Amino acid sequence: MSQQFIQLVVSGLAVGSVYALVGLAFIMVNEATGVVNFATGQMVTIGCFLAVTTGLQMNLPLAPAYVLALAAMALFGVAFYAIVFRPLQDRPVVTVIIGTVMIGIVIQNAALITWGSVPFRPRSPFGRQVIDVFGAALSAHALFVIVVSFLMIGLLYLFIYRTAIGARMRAVAQDRDAARLMGISVDRMFVLTWIIAGLLTGAAGILVGPMWFADVNMGDPIALKAFAAIIIGGFSSVPGAIVGGVLVGLAEMLGAAYISSTYKDGLVFLVMILFLLVRPEGIFGERIGQRA
Amino acid sequence: MLKVEQIGVAYGAIDALHGISLEVGQGEVVALLGANGAGKTTLLRTISGLIRPKSGGIRFEGEPLGNSSAETRVKRGIAHVPEGRRIFPGLTVRENLDVATTVWRRRGMSAAADLDNVYALFPRLKERASQLGWSLSGGEQQMLAIGRALMARPKMLLLDEPSLGLAPRLSEEVYRRIADINAKGVTVLLVEQNTVLALEVARRAYVIENGHIVLDGPARDLANHPRVREAYLGA
Repeated sequence: MSQQFIQLVVSGLAVGSVYALVGLAFIMVNEATGVVNFATGQMVTIGCFLAVTTGLQMNLPLAPAYVLALAAMALFGVAFYAIVFRPLQDRPVVTVIIGTVMIGIVIQNAALITWGSVPFRPRSPFGRQVIDVFGAALSAHALFVIVVSFLMIGLLYLFIYRTAIGARMRAVAQDRDAARLMGISVDRMFVLTWIIAGLLTGAAGILVGPMWFADVNMGDPIALKAFAAIIIGGFSSVPGAIVGGVLVGLAEMLGAAYISSTYKDGLVFLVMILFLLVRPEGIFGERIGQRA
Repeated sequence: MLKVEQIGVAYGAIDALHGISLEVGQGEVVALLGANGAGKTTLLRTISGLIRPKSGGIRFEGEPLGNSSAETRVKRGIAHVPEGRRIFPGLTVRENLDVATTVWRRRGMSAAADLDNVYALFPRLKERASQLGWSLSGGEQQMLAIGRALMARPKMLLLDEPSLGLAPRLSEEVYRRIADINAKGVTVLLVEQNTVLALEVARRAYVIENGHIVLDGPARDLANHPRVREAYLGA
C-alpha cells in the first residue's frame, strides 16, 4: 500500500511537472500578449513527434535528438509568431484567439499527414529502468522528468526575474506602450516569448512521450489539464503553475488509483470548477494592485 | 531642436489635430497649454512615435523623423513621460530605472552614474529602490516616471501632465526638479493643465484648443494675456 502510494506520488509529480511546463507556456504567451494560445496542446504534440523523428526515425542518440527537436521547436515558436500572431496582433483579442484555435487544427492535421495515425512509443534515455527506493519501484524516466522540468522552470525563473532581458519582457507584459517609450523593442520581446513557449511545450512533449504514447491527438488533453492547473494555481503566476500542475498530476494519479480510473479526468476538472467557484484568482492570486 | 510642421492626426473619421506647427529650441522649456481633449496628449504621442500622423512632418535636430518607430526615437534622444505616469507596476523601482537603459546599454556597460544622477534628483527613489512600482505614492510614481525617462539619456524630455493628481507642494517639488533637469542641458516640452506652474518654469508656451494652436509667445506675455487669464488662470 505505502509502496504503491510512493509510486503513484512520483508518477503524479512527473505528469504534474509536465503540466507545469505547458501551463507556463500558456502563461508566458498570455502575459506578454494578452492572448490565450489555444494551439499550445498541438505545440506539445509537435515537440513529441519531432523527438520521434530525430530519436526513432533518424535513430540519433537521444541527447542530440532532444537538442535538435528543441531547436526545431524554438524555430516553430518564431514561425508561429511571424505567421499567426504578428499579422493578427492589432485585431480584436477574439480574432487572435480564433486564429490560434484554427492553427491548432491545422497543426494537428499536418501532424496526422506527416506522422500517420499509428502511435509511436518514444524511447526513454533510461529505458525501462526502475530504481528501488524504500521498496517502491520508481520509474527512472519519471524521476528524470521531474528533475528536468524543475531545472527548466528554475532557469526560466532566473531568466525572467534576474536578468536585464527578463525585466524588459516583464515591462512589455505590464505596459506595452510605456515599454516602447523606454526604447524596448516590443517585437523582439514577443519573438523571445514565443521561443520560450516553443521550448517549454517542446520539452513537455519530449518528456511525456516515453510515459505515454506519441499520438497526434495527445496535445489537447495535456493542454486542458495544464489550463486547469494554471486556473488552480493563479493565472499569471510562475509558482502557481508549478503548484497547480503538481496538484492536477497528483489528483489524476491518486484519483485513478483510489477513487475511479474512469473518472480521473472528471476529478481534475471538478477541482478546477471548485476553484473557479470558491477562489477564482487561484492559489497565488494577483499580487499586483493598482494605485491611482 | 524639435520642429513640428503642419501635423494632422485623426482617430478614425474624427480629426484630433488640424495642422499643428510648433518649434522647441535647444535647451528651452516650452509648455503646451489647453483644456482636456484639446489634443495635447495626442501631439506628444505623435512626437514620440506611438501615433502616426496623417499629414505633416516632424524634424528632430534637423532630421525628419518620418515613420520611425518609438524605439528609434528614444535612441535619437526623445524620452516621453506619459500621462498617468505609466510606470511598470510589477517591476521594482530599480528595475523600472534599469529597463530604460535598453537603447544605449551594451554588454558590460554600467548604468551606475545614471542611477546616481537620478537618485540625486529624487532621493526618495533610492530609499524605495527594491519596492514594487505599484506600491509607491502618486508623487513617488511621478518621480520614478521622470527618473526612468532620464535613464534613456535623452536630449529632449516630453512631459505629459507631471502635476496631475499631486498635492500642490509635491507639484512644486516636481517642477523644481524639472528646472534642475533643464539646467543640465535637457530640452523640455511639457503639457500641463496647471497653467500657473507651467508658465513659471517655461520660457515659451503654446495654447492649443480643439486641435488648433490659438496662441503662442513668451510665457510671461501669455500669463498676462486676457484670453489665457480668463480661460486657464481663472482671473
